[in-house]
Amino acid sequence: MYVTHRLARFGTHLGPLQNHTRSLSSSPLRMSEHFDFFVIGGGSGGIAAARRAAGYGAKVGVAEYSRWGGTCVNVGCVPKKVMFNTAMISEMMHEAHHFGYDIDTSRVKFDWKTIKHKRDAYVKKLNTIYDTNLEKSAITKYIGKASFTGPKSLRIERATDAGGPLEVTASHVLVATGGYPQPFGLPGEEYTISSDGFFELEDQPKKVAVIGAGYIAVELAGIFNALGSETHLFTRGDTALRRFDDMLKTVLTAEMKRAGMHLHPGSTPAGLKKEADGSLTLSLQNGQSHGGFDTVLVATGRMPCVDSLNLPAAGVKQAPKKGYIEADEYQNTNVEGIYALGDVCGKVELTPMAIAAGRRLADRLFGGMNDAKVSYDLVPTVIFSHPTIGTIGPTEEECKKKYGEDNIKVYKATFPNLYYGPWTVAPEEKPKTAMKLVCLLPEEKIIALHVIGMGADEMLQGFGIALKMGATKADFDSCVAIHPTASEEFVTMAPWGMAPQRRGA
Amino acid sequence: MAPIAILAAILFCNVAASNVEEMAAGHEAHVTNNKSTCPHSFVEDTQTLAKAKHPTSKESDVVSDEVQGAVIGGIIGGKNGSAGAVGGAMHGTGGAMYGGLMGSSGTATSAAPLSRYDLVVIGGGSGGMAAAKEAAKLGKRVALFDYPSPQGTTWGIGGTCLNVGCIPRKLMHYAALIGASFYDARLLGWQLPDVRGQGHSGIAHDWGQLVKFVRNKVRQLRFSYGNALRSYGNSLTYVNALARFESAGVIEYENPSSGETQKLTADKVLIAVGGRPNIPEDIPGAVEHDITSDDIFTLDRPPGRTLVVGAGYIALETAGFLNEINFDVSVAVRSVVLRGFDRQCAEKIAQLMAEVGVRFMYSVTVGSITKKQPDESGLPSLEVELRSRDGNIVTEVYNTVLFATGRTPETASLGLDAVGVKYDAQTSKIAVNDVEQTSVPNVYAVGDCIPQLELTPVAVRAGEVLARRLYGGSTEKMDYEMVPTTVFTPFEYGSVGLSEEQAVKKYGKDAIETFLLEVETAHTDPPALSRLAHSSAPLLTHFEDLELSGVHRPKVATARSDGFDIFLSASNLSKLVCLRNENNRVVGFHYVGRNAGEVTQGFALALRLGATKSDFDRMLGIQPTDAESFSGLTVTRRSGESFVAAGGCGGGRCG
Repeated sequence: MYVTHRLARFGTHLGPLQNHTRSLSSSPLRMSEHFDFFVIGGGSGGIAAARRAAGYGAKVGVAEYSRWGGTCVNVGCVPKKVMFNTAMISEMMHEAHHFGYDIDTSRVKFDWKTIKHKRDAYVKKLNTIYDTNLEKSAITKYIGKASFTGPKSLRIERATDAGGPLEVTASHVLVATGGYPQPFGLPGEEYTISSDGFFELEDQPKKVAVIGAGYIAVELAGIFNALGSETHLFTRGDTALRRFDDMLKTVLTAEMKRAGMHLHPGSTPAGLKKEADGSLTLSLQNGQSHGGFDTVLVATGRMPCVDSLNLPAAGVKQAPKKGYIEADEYQNTNVEGIYALGDVCGKVELTPMAIAAGRRLADRLFGGMNDAKVSYDLVPTVIFSHPTIGTIGPTEEECKKKYGEDNIKVYKATFPNLYYGPWTVAPEEKPKTAMKLVCLLPEEKIIALHVIGMGADEMLQGFGIALKMGATKADFDSCVAIHPTASEEFVTMAPWGMAPQRRGA
Repeated sequence: MAPIAILAAILFCNVAASNVEEMAAGHEAHVTNNKSTCPHSFVEDTQTLAKAKHPTSKESDVVSDEVQGAVIGGIIGGKNGSAGAVGGAMHGTGGAMYGGLMGSSGTATSAAPLSRYDLVVIGGGSGGMAAAKEAAKLGKRVALFDYPSPQGTTWGIGGTCLNVGCIPRKLMHYAALIGASFYDARLLGWQLPDVRGQGHSGIAHDWGQLVKFVRNKVRQLRFSYGNALRSYGNSLTYVNALARFESAGVIEYENPSSGETQKLTADKVLIAVGGRPNIPEDIPGAVEHDITSDDIFTLDRPPGRTLVVGAGYIALETAGFLNEINFDVSVAVRSVVLRGFDRQCAEKIAQLMAEVGVRFMYSVTVGSITKKQPDESGLPSLEVELRSRDGNIVTEVYNTVLFATGRTPETASLGLDAVGVKYDAQTSKIAVNDVEQTSVPNVYAVGDCIPQLELTPVAVRAGEVLARRLYGGSTEKMDYEMVPTTVFTPFEYGSVGLSEEQAVKKYGKDAIETFLLEVETAHTDPPALSRLAHSSAPLLTHFEDLELSGVHRPKVATARSDGFDIFLSASNLSKLVCLRNENNRVVGFHYVGRNAGEVTQGFALALRLGATKSDFDRMLGIQPTDAESFSGLTVTRRSGESFVAAGGCGGGRCG
């Protein structure tokens, strides 16, 4: 997480470093210390690379401006999942009467502050753990902004009480500075919060607008909605999750509506105005305006943290769009000895991806594995929407485009999870699970797997291995089901047992 | 559902009334015409409906593919004649329907002295239905016999799994998870209405209501299973009667409506009768006063203070959900919990259950059960004599005593001895070879009545594979290896392949590498944190899965060893058992934690494909999930290092 200075402008920050910083920078200081490997950015990818390299005996330094753990730990996956679980508990309480519980949910009160503070304490503890991990790996830690002064040299701006600025040199430099939320960029920006700001909220919004169509927008809107905020989701296109498989979008849209979220497709924001009563009014380019919001959250994309790196001093090439650092499959930039990975490259912006890339890079540079690299194919991804989404591989459309429609066979299933079985509501009122296997003919190799519905988040991982191993529909069919689960549908999808067999059943 | 219900009314016009109620309950408004006549107008409606594509109301499992596009066909041991007429009228697509059985099959067979079937399946549970449908699909003429429970319960089609097994138990498990979520909710910042209930959730719960909901769901599924069978038309005849062998090729049964004994000839017979709970007749009072694991789903009064006798997965699942729903539960364990499962995981399950309030009594058996005056809440009072192995005898009072001490195949009435089908005298399990063939060549058996894994999907798979071998030219055998299963205790347990003990036994200790990771529930309240900070222990010993993070659920007081022993033990355990000389191929997968059922399925596929430890290592974790724990297993049993360590992002494993 290398972004505090940028975020401050948008009314959010990761909190001052305070005495925390001082205690962390206890390593002995020398000017122009030389490292085998220096990492800029103490997030998932950076820490992973640093620790792996140190494990091979390399002398490693890492610079972090803010808190250890980066986006994932501080303002990403971890606190998001805590909030998601909280939201799930809210949903369960409201569904409890279907299972015989006698609870008047109108009298249930939720205190946002309690979970906020528990969550903060938890994240703080994780920061400490990461710090300890680095220490155990004998990695030299610096709290301060690092910038290139040349291809092999860096200047680290440390606070005076932490020893002041210093220079370091390194044989290999890794840039893993991550990203930050793209600002609103329209009038009224000062009234918006970003996904980072979501985690700063002390109180629950009564009426909230979420602007954006990506997974962050969908996840945070889902949390607000499940916890009882009146939630409005504004998307530029027809649906959220534009680049995902149609089945996922269709079911998600229906389920978000069922859950009572207010969806506003075709909404391009024009600006935001604060009314006399303090409420916020969002105006759209189509002339509509929507008012009465106490919180407006913008999640329209992320930007790479590159501004303070002084990349030109090292000659590192950036993409024209947004300034992402360009790196090849081995994480090499155009400059020898400088590498980049994770969100700052904008490729697959996922924590485990950055971790794997970091470890492989260290394997290659210091572990003697000259060809070590990470695979960007068939990456399993989960979206903690309501309901959750799991996806591996391209969309059905993309598969058909790539291989030709005649070479693709698709298996699908739609059903309400057994959980909704006892509910005394009409079948069409029950939330749906939808699944899809996209197969490449003739052997029906599975090239994509998509699922939306209860439990999708936890069912995906194992199938991820299976797809990597080249599983076919016949392989899926050969696997005995676990009953009763939702995931068993993947191994019993109709027509069952009709695909060409490669292995025994 | 309404169109189907109307359809049901038509279809069942000539079926015994009890059967209609059974199959179509929950749609009572539509089934009032289920007598012996059928209004003509309905028949016309049905012609239209039958052409319409069925909705894919795939509520749980095996139904939808068969239901799709179904044309409604053959039914069901009712009165002859009129049903055939109605069926014929309904069909539209030709093929006269046969109403009853036995020489009245409506079609050409009426000239034969006995109706002849390619396959007669005895038992309408998961395995029987699957085989029957598959054989019918392959063009064979099939009769499927299903009969009511000897206990007089209201079973219909679907066998153990649907009626008294996986389905109702999973629904009760959901109720349990909700109960626990109330507990967590308070810790997460909710103020809940006044506490009226007892136990964990602190929320009043109406047991009768839950039972009603669960029963309705089961009925609804029976109905759709029935639809699925009917979609095979003349190829598949369902008979609601108890069948027995007259000879290896002749099956006799009592016509459910006329009571007459009827017979049919069978080219091949499949026994798939499943099992029924053991009732310990040697324990005084047990037969009169206990209920079995089957009965709990129809118990219309709250169980109250409950003693569960037994420690298999059925016992633990039942004890688990009763505890989480609010009841005071004790478990009498004769020797070990979850025999046959991985020891470490089994013990962890029991430990976690104890920490959320289940009381385990080890080396204890029941001596006798005596009924006393009902207690102040009107629930039965049962005085139970408990004997421990060291000879101590104590007496405790329970409202409910539930036996879950194994199941025995229901083979006594089949007439197996007369035709020479061999079975184990002790267990009653029918002996089969590797193609599910019994000692009588044209008689086969699958499911819980053979000495194989007692699991629904195994029975389903074995039934399908058998039918394909018999009628589809397949040579594929049922593979009983690498079968995944999940125990739905409050913290679930999913496993595939061998337990660590089985692997050691099979391959030897030196050939096995076991990788482990345990994730501990964290403490972020100030006193615990300060203890942590000042502890000399390595920091990496106190972490939590993200499900419980922010919750910090305490143990119940009875499970605490001292004043500092406050929080739930590690709630996740991930374990891979690998073969060292086969590139660490994974032969055992074990996962204790939330969502184990969903976590395990995909890994089961990976293990079937021969996944090695390096396939797991190469796997990109899905962040943040419990399942991703398997991407980071580094500690081996052999190393002796602590595996209670980092897990999820929470453990500092990101980087």
